[in-house]
Amino acid sequence: MPSPIDKKSLERLAELARIELDPKEEERLLQDLPKILDYFKELQELDTSNVEPMAGSTTLKNAFRDDDASEKTNLRAGVEQFPETENGFLKIPPVFE
Amino acid sequence: MTPLGELTIKKFHDGLLEKKFSALEVTQAFFRHIKETDAAIGAYLSLNEEAAIKEAEAVDLAVAKDEPQGVLAGVPLAIKDNILIKGLPATAASKILENYTASYDAGVIQKLKAEKAVFLGKTNLDEFAMGASTENSGFQLTKNPHDPERVPGGSSGGSAVAVAAHMALAALGSDTGGSIRQPAAFCGVVGLKPTYGAVSRSGLIAMASSLDQIGPITKTVEDAAILFKAIAGRDQVDATNAGIEYGDELTEPGLESIKQLTVGLPEEYFIEGLDGEVRRGVELAIEKIKSLGLKFKKISLPHTKYALSCYYIIVPAEVSANLARFDGIRYSRTSNLKPKTLNLKEIYLKQRGEGFGAESKRRIILGTFVLSSGYYDAYYEKAQRVRALIRQDFKNAFKEVDVILAPVTPTPAFKIGEKISDPLSMYLSDVFTVPINLAGLPSVSIPVKKYHYPNQTMDSTLQSNSGQASSPRKELPVGFQLIGKHFREGDILGLGRYYEKLN
Repeated sequence: MPSPIDKKSLERLAELARIELDPKEEERLLQDLPKILDYFKELQELDTSNVEPMAGSTTLKNAFRDDDASEKTNLRAGVEQFPETENGFLKIPPVFE
Repeated sequence: MTPLGELTIKKFHDGLLEKKFSALEVTQAFFRHIKETDAAIGAYLSLNEEAAIKEAEAVDLAVAKDEPQGVLAGVPLAIKDNILIKGLPATAASKILENYTASYDAGVIQKLKAEKAVFLGKTNLDEFAMGASTENSGFQLTKNPHDPERVPGGSSGGSAVAVAAHMALAALGSDTGGSIRQPAAFCGVVGLKPTYGAVSRSGLIAMASSLDQIGPITKTVEDAAILFKAIAGRDQVDATNAGIEYGDELTEPGLESIKQLTVGLPEEYFIEGLDGEVRRGVELAIEKIKSLGLKFKKISLPHTKYALSCYYIIVPAEVSANLARFDGIRYSRTSNLKPKTLNLKEIYLKQRGEGFGAESKRRIILGTFVLSSGYYDAYYEKAQRVRALIRQDFKNAFKEVDVILAPVTPTPAFKIGEKISDPLSMYLSDVFTVPINLAGLPSVSIPVKKYHYPNQTMDSTLQSNSGQASSPRKELPVGFQLIGKHFREGDILGLGRYYEKLN
């Protein structure tokens, strides 16, 4: 069976993940990923039809915090970390042509 | 002053109160030692000297006034660089965060600041905690202090080395699939991976959110219990935090109750591929624990062999989601791109392409694949079902035993460069640690074999106080792990404590 990851599908995945790959990286991934996926095949030996998928490590339900007012002191911190700002607004490159 | 190599948290606290030394003296001694040795070892990514000195001075002032001091007051700690300390860099060893400064304190840091701990600096790791050797750091290699040709383990390699090479009294790491326990075993120190939900994840740069936990790396089991007790407990901003407050069972375990524990030995962890040194180390630990009078029982965890596949599907899936936030704009800018000529999508592609290292890219793309339409059921959902089977294995085993004893790693520390070009062989070094994370259980890695530093890198003031003559032969440390029931850190730390007292 051909590997589900080939050059075309890798380029599509990289675009979806917003990662630019150079040709050398592509070559490496085209070697590594099929091997890793091949290793995963062992899971198919297991019959899991009656097993509920486990989505996380906790059995907590409705973990709410107290409904108290609190003063946050790092209100501007996210803005300060931004590479370019003007009057407290964030500057980013154009989204559309 | 007491040599740094002899200090533990407990001894530091006693010495501080008896005024044998001041917090400032010890903090300054650590910085001197870091400056002398770390250039050759590479444990730290950044130091926090100015603030640390102030924190130490404040503790000394309080001691001089005879104000009561908590056991962590003035204790110099190293913090893994994926844990936020307000105003300090937090890079997660990634180029994409090289200019980022943390804007708030992680939950664990808030708790430690309340205890007046001193933060020496931030330690190296595999980028975003993805790796088992710290070779995936975007900035530097960290060397194993027992043999500089070997890796310290990972991903919390810098923290384990800082403790092992006496460049911190204790440290915090994070463990997603072994990242505290494996470097602790490779470096000959103690590492605790707490129960999932025991410690706040707020301010831990997320890798795989259903698995990540912060925990202590220390010289003794007693210190691990002290540090864990301080960082555990409720944090309202972490919705997966169970809010469990631990008591004295952690720090003052009763021998009689520890003797009542039954220890399980899982047959699937004593396989052919297990290195002879590791096997002998684990057998030695078993003998010693038997001498305490505990009962042992053979158990089976039948789905163990599937844990690696399960883990390396679930983790990349969560990684691809968690690392989507790093767009090269919000947390830093990584290169001198000319944004005026590029649109937003082009910026993302370039920033992420240049900012992430090879392993991060591999996992993001693999994660994108296993979550993609057409493959989700066969990979991601399948792995979630297998995860439930692995958790059930442990549930069944814990009906018969209280604690499980197992090796931490298949081999001692491997050579730098040995596995970095083959991701699968690197992943295989996690074979004995990932099942514990998948099941959300606590586990402590404890050194078993005695070791000596190679003479040539030995600082005479830092010789171990074991009373033995130092040997020129390089000996690598070996560890074993004790796995406990959910939120029963008291069992494994208590047993570890009495094991430690035998030595």
